[in-house]
Amino acid sequence: MNKIHNLKVGVSGVRGIVGDTFTPSLVAAFAASYGEYVGGGRVIVGRDTRPSGPMIEHAVIAGLVSVGCQPILAGIIPTPTIQIAVDEYHANGAIAITASHNTAEWNALKFINSSGIFFNETEAAELLDVYNQPDNLFVKEQDYRSVRAIDDAFELHQKRIFRNINVEAIRKARFKIAVDCCNGVGALYARPFLEELGCEVISIFDEADGNFRRRPEPVPQNLSELCRVVRENGCAAGFAQDPDGDRIALIKGNGKAAGEQYSIVLAAEHVLSKTPGNVVVNIQTTKAVEDVAAKYGCKVFYSTVGEINVTRQMLAVNSIIGGEGSSGGVIWPAVHPCRDSFAAMALFLEMMALRSESIDTILDKLPQYHSKTLKFPCSAFKSQQIIRHLRAKYAQHNPVTIDGIRINFDDAWILVRSSNTEPLMRLTTEARSISKAEKLAADFSKEISALLTEK
Amino acid sequence: MRFLRLGPAGMRGEIGTGLTPLLAIDFASAMGSYLDGGRIAIASDTRFSSPMLRHAVISALLSCGTEVLDAGIAPAPLLHFITPYLKADGAMLLGAGHHPAGWNAIVPLSSNGAYLNSVQLQELFDIYHGRRYKTAAWNEMGKVSEMPPSIFEDYLDALCSKLNVEAISSRHFKVIADFCNGPGSALSESFAARLGLELIPINNIFSGIIPHDPEPRPRSSVQAQSIMKPLNADIAFVFNSDMSRTAIVTNSGETLSEEYTFPLVADHFLSSSPHGTGVVTNWCTTKTLDDIVSKHHGKLYKTKVGQAFIIDRMLEKSAKLAGDGSGSVALGDFTKGFDSFMVMGLALEAMAVRKCSSAGLAAELPRYHIVKKKINCPSAHAYGLLRNMKTQLKDAAVSDEDGFRFDWQDGWVHLRASATEPVVRMIAEWRTKDEAEDRALEIQGILERLVSS
Repeated sequence: MNKIHNLKVGVSGVRGIVGDTFTPSLVAAFAASYGEYVGGGRVIVGRDTRPSGPMIEHAVIAGLVSVGCQPILAGIIPTPTIQIAVDEYHANGAIAITASHNTAEWNALKFINSSGIFFNETEAAELLDVYNQPDNLFVKEQDYRSVRAIDDAFELHQKRIFRNINVEAIRKARFKIAVDCCNGVGALYARPFLEELGCEVISIFDEADGNFRRRPEPVPQNLSELCRVVRENGCAAGFAQDPDGDRIALIKGNGKAAGEQYSIVLAAEHVLSKTPGNVVVNIQTTKAVEDVAAKYGCKVFYSTVGEINVTRQMLAVNSIIGGEGSSGGVIWPAVHPCRDSFAAMALFLEMMALRSESIDTILDKLPQYHSKTLKFPCSAFKSQQIIRHLRAKYAQHNPVTIDGIRINFDDAWILVRSSNTEPLMRLTTEARSISKAEKLAADFSKEISALLTEK
Repeated sequence: MRFLRLGPAGMRGEIGTGLTPLLAIDFASAMGSYLDGGRIAIASDTRFSSPMLRHAVISALLSCGTEVLDAGIAPAPLLHFITPYLKADGAMLLGAGHHPAGWNAIVPLSSNGAYLNSVQLQELFDIYHGRRYKTAAWNEMGKVSEMPPSIFEDYLDALCSKLNVEAISSRHFKVIADFCNGPGSALSESFAARLGLELIPINNIFSGIIPHDPEPRPRSSVQAQSIMKPLNADIAFVFNSDMSRTAIVTNSGETLSEEYTFPLVADHFLSSSPHGTGVVTNWCTTKTLDDIVSKHHGKLYKTKVGQAFIIDRMLEKSAKLAGDGSGSVALGDFTKGFDSFMVMGLALEAMAVRKCSSAGLAAELPRYHIVKKKINCPSAHAYGLLRNMKTQLKDAAVSDEDGFRFDWQDGWVHLRASATEPVVRMIAEWRTKDEAEDRALEIQGILERLVSS
């Protein structure tokens, strides 16, 4: 059995397991290379609540300062807030210290450019090129800049959201909302944010200690506690965040999870109902988005998986709403072209307030799809081989091959792709019925398992 | 020119070209591994690059699972004190001390607050060179603990308990203290209040700017010296940036060579110590100290240049006083490191108890004249050439514990290959300036003939 290596250096940044591959020395070297690559100047640094955060933050600061950057420390802060702070502070970029939805032993550096969006493939490759040089261009002491701390980053983020929604309408509705912060950054910001919108808030997993008391992906099987709280307290809705506050999932008033795929469906429904425009989603997103867009005469563009890929496509086609069904990602460029659970919460609340309808009713009117996701631990190379095999085998189905392989059937599809962040291959299926989705998953799972055991 | 040094005084280098965050992380990771996590105290000076070192070191220590006791910006003597006081397993001092602007250093300390001795250092370096460090799991990360807020006061309490506070306070001395913009000034007010001083601090801003050559020497004492007379001060002290080295300016306006700081303190300390009291210094310290120690019937031990060697010998011999010609003094019954606050205290106590001005104390010291020279020499061959000097200077007593020291009845010369530059450093001392210069020139000539042959 091959050892699965846990350090990943790629478009999503540098990611590894603390106490193993993710060492202070690696982090400082990447931070120095990043500082060198962006040419010095101000760099926003923020992190989620993981216990390894301080260790990594110290290494990032040391690395940045050593190449003449001025780190601007935002502390424990949502990833979208970091991206917005780049704009607000006219910084040359930012480093977000978070492994997002990965479990607590992981951590990562995510690199953000001067527009406040994640590095794309070219930028990531150029950064890696700097990193791989024999030495960094360390500056002398006379060119050192001081470290600065800021405490208004979230306030600026919140102001941007409030400028784009009908705050008064939401306040008047006085919603009772349960929020599950996953012991992440939301634990510090979600309650005051929702209270500012006039909500009565019940928060759970709201100790900001990074000791995740539920699994961090906001998928239904991890949200049973939130469902119970929503049901027992008669909440209008429940919101579940991931540890760094970029992803969002919704719980209906009846205590049932809407499914992370429906976050972008709802956001698209609401935004397009006010202003038609282009929609961009990744290849791993429910067909319900297409159905909603069709209703408003709008076009849907597909991108490869990964926030930056969606963002770039959105900027290219001047999209007004986009996201990632697979991750519960909602991207609303009116605030900032990034996944943002806070902007998403504001959109959901505004939709509920303006339509005077419960979220349950709104969701029930939307086309229903069911999906199933399976993971296969697998090296990147092995998954590439398997995907190539499937592309050849199913060529007559005209599969979409921008990222892995997606085969579209009538009212159903399957996707097999390699994870950007973990040594995994994922199989996702979607159909109008659970049984159909499960049948597709079982069939393809069998096929993949057979291919995996092959030499 | 080399920009990084790893030696008895830890890791030192020019920032950027030598000392980088990556090396600092590796070095601190080695320390965290050496102490198997443990509790490690840190303190940093005010230089521009010290926060970088601090962040790098904290990151590495946290990743080893170490509890970091962060004293913030604090002088070296405080770290020598708090390491055993807080029962830490070790410490790391972040600061460049006497090095010029642009340099910085990380000095590892043992649990007793002293520099690691040569055996401990070898153990640490072996881990560093092996590059396999302890790494704690995500849920066993170390943490940074705040210091008890009373720590500066606790240190000054302990310091003052070694001094005749009453005698000093009764004199209401007017004292000028040049802190070289280092961290020492944080303690100046409380120190002055305890000893009833009118203390006039200069260069006491945490600006990171080094206001003059940070080695306390007559030429770095110009600012203090220039205000002695106008302010009618009793004494002035000029420190390096981490409060380990001290030079004195007397009330007559004389800027004493830093060589005389230790003899002046020793003269006072030994006057009330029993015969046979142990004193430790290095092979390059003025003969004035030999004279003072023998005047008071003390026992003088000499060792290699460097705080690590001097303090280790002090511990080995249970000596009461240790110091060297760079203006450094450690009091054996107090902390295990050089301490400029103690130098200030003892010098003021000498003035108070002996009812004597600072110029009066200086006048009692036998004076010699020291000549220091750098002689160009390809470093690869320096040691061999110096060894050949033994046959050239047959009439002298020779010690080769650290470089080569040649002693005659009326003077001595010390020759040592520099570890940082391709030069031999010469120190020669004789009773008069003429003698010292003549002999230094003569020996330089012999060495240069060897270099060119």
